[in-house]
Amino acid sequence: ESHLQYERVGADVTMKCGSMDWDAAVTWTVNGTDIDESHLNGSYLILKNVNLSQSGQYSCYEGSSWHLKYQTFLRVGTPPKEPVLMCRSNNYPKGFYCSWHLPTPTYIPNTFNISVIHGTKDMVCEKDAVPKNRCHIRYLQLFSTVKYKVTLTVTNALGKNFTTLTFDEFAIVKPDPPESVVAKPVPNNPRRLEVSWQNPSSWPDPESFPLKFFLRYRPLILDTWQHVELSDGTSHIITDAYAGKEYIIQVAAKDNDIGTWSDWSVAVHATPWTEEPKHLTTEAQITETTSASTSSFMAPPTTKICDKGAVVGSGAMAVCWTAGLVVAAYSVLFI
Amino acid sequence: MAAADSPSAALRRRDLCSRGIRLAGKMRADVVDLLDAYVEQQGLDASASVAAVEGVPLAAVERWDEQTGTQRLLENLAAYRAFRALLAQMLEEQREQLGEADAGLGRALAAVLLQVSAFAYHLEELLRLESRGVPGEEGDGPPPPPRLSLFEQKLRGLGVLRELAQWAVRSVRDLRQLAKPSPATGAAPGLAESP
Repeated sequence: ESHLQYERVGADVTMKCGSMDWDAAVTWTVNGTDIDESHLNGSYLILKNVNLSQSGQYSCYEGSSWHLKYQTFLRVGTPPKEPVLMCRSNNYPKGFYCSWHLPTPTYIPNTFNISVIHGTKDMVCEKDAVPKNRCHIRYLQLFSTVKYKVTLTVTNALGKNFTTLTFDEFAIVKPDPPESVVAKPVPNNPRRLEVSWQNPSSWPDPESFPLKFFLRYRPLILDTWQHVELSDGTSHIITDAYAGKEYIIQVAAKDNDIGTWSDWSVAVHATPWTEEPKHLTTEAQITETTSASTSSFMAPPTTKICDKGAVVGSGAMAVCWTAGLVVAAYSVLFI
Repeated sequence: MAAADSPSAALRRRDLCSRGIRLAGKMRADVVDLLDAYVEQQGLDASASVAAVEGVPLAAVERWDEQTGTQRLLENLAAYRAFRALLAQMLEEQREQLGEADAGLGRALAAVLLQVSAFAYHLEELLRLESRGVPGEEGDGPPPPPRLSLFEQKLRGLGVLRELAQWAVRSVRDLRQLAKPSPATGAAPGLAESP
């Protein structure tokens, strides 16, 4: 018959070999490995100032017959510290959830018990399957001034601890960040960026409980953010972007009337529209064509350049020819 | 209830709801400021729990989402009429306690009282629009409450203002529900039904 025992880190542990007398001859093993006699006091195994690595299966065998006389599984751990508890409503007005964790591990199994009281009424917080340390509650009443009191108790074989949170219905409302944030340049507008997003999918009724939004943006090369608060709508056009600079943009949400701002959304990047210089475009195309060929240089047909529609008007031919000649000269240099 | 469903009635309802939402929003902001000033002036602990006081309409409601439009309007109206009387009483007590010494708080109370009265009237307009009879106010109002000690008066005042702040948020939500067009008729949901 195997036993299980829990001991605190740093404790002194004495294991008896079942019903064997103190002066009996025995051999102790840990996880199948013999333990040196220096740890024995008669037939008792003495472990001083135990540490986590000493967890394992301890077995005691009678000296001559090698019969197994006693077996125990030792688990070294700590009593729980005060747990960290958080409650939040990201789906107002449906309800709220609470989640918790231990600041430091105990290395042994813990059980968590949560109680929620609203005034004098006990409420049941239903545990979520995933994630484990979380439970949710449906609001039975709305607009109540009576506070909620949530107590979380954590217990293990070595001790227990608890923490309490008290809050009112409005204070814990915090939506999830906006979703599907998209930022695009606005054609023919070198200083504009169009940003759009969606309400977080966890917010159940944005029509009756509208959200307002906070947009922040900055060019990558600068540290300071610009901010815009928007009381409705899920899009905005930035009109003061620096031309040609890549921007980083984020959005946050808040219920229009109560609670706190969400975390910032995933960041998106965008660069305002810039006009493509026409001659640079054609040169780039020529360079690509010539670098691909390994045989002797062949001047690209000028019709090809002009066909791209990069230039217009009667002066075009002259420009095309000139461009062709310039590029031809350069290409000869590079070969 | 044909009048309630006509396009002009629907437009008027939406207009009244939007204005009501703005009124309630402003009222709430002012009540929150007043609450801060009141707590400080009266030397109270802002986090003190105040037991539900008799005569103060509680904003807390179960199954809020299932209420009909008429229920919402009637409950709101009853609440703001009660607040009108309670605030008037607080103003009176304030003047008795401090005379002119605390004119600022008195002015803030009076300003909120004005907004509460205006909002009550606004609710009556909405009820009239739905061809609902506006319930008359009971006689001279509620019977005069028993004389409270100064400290009890202060705690009561705290309770009144806290519930009023909650009501202001609830009213915004209620009016948004009312303003929603119903899918079939285009009328607001629940308003055509009898309570």
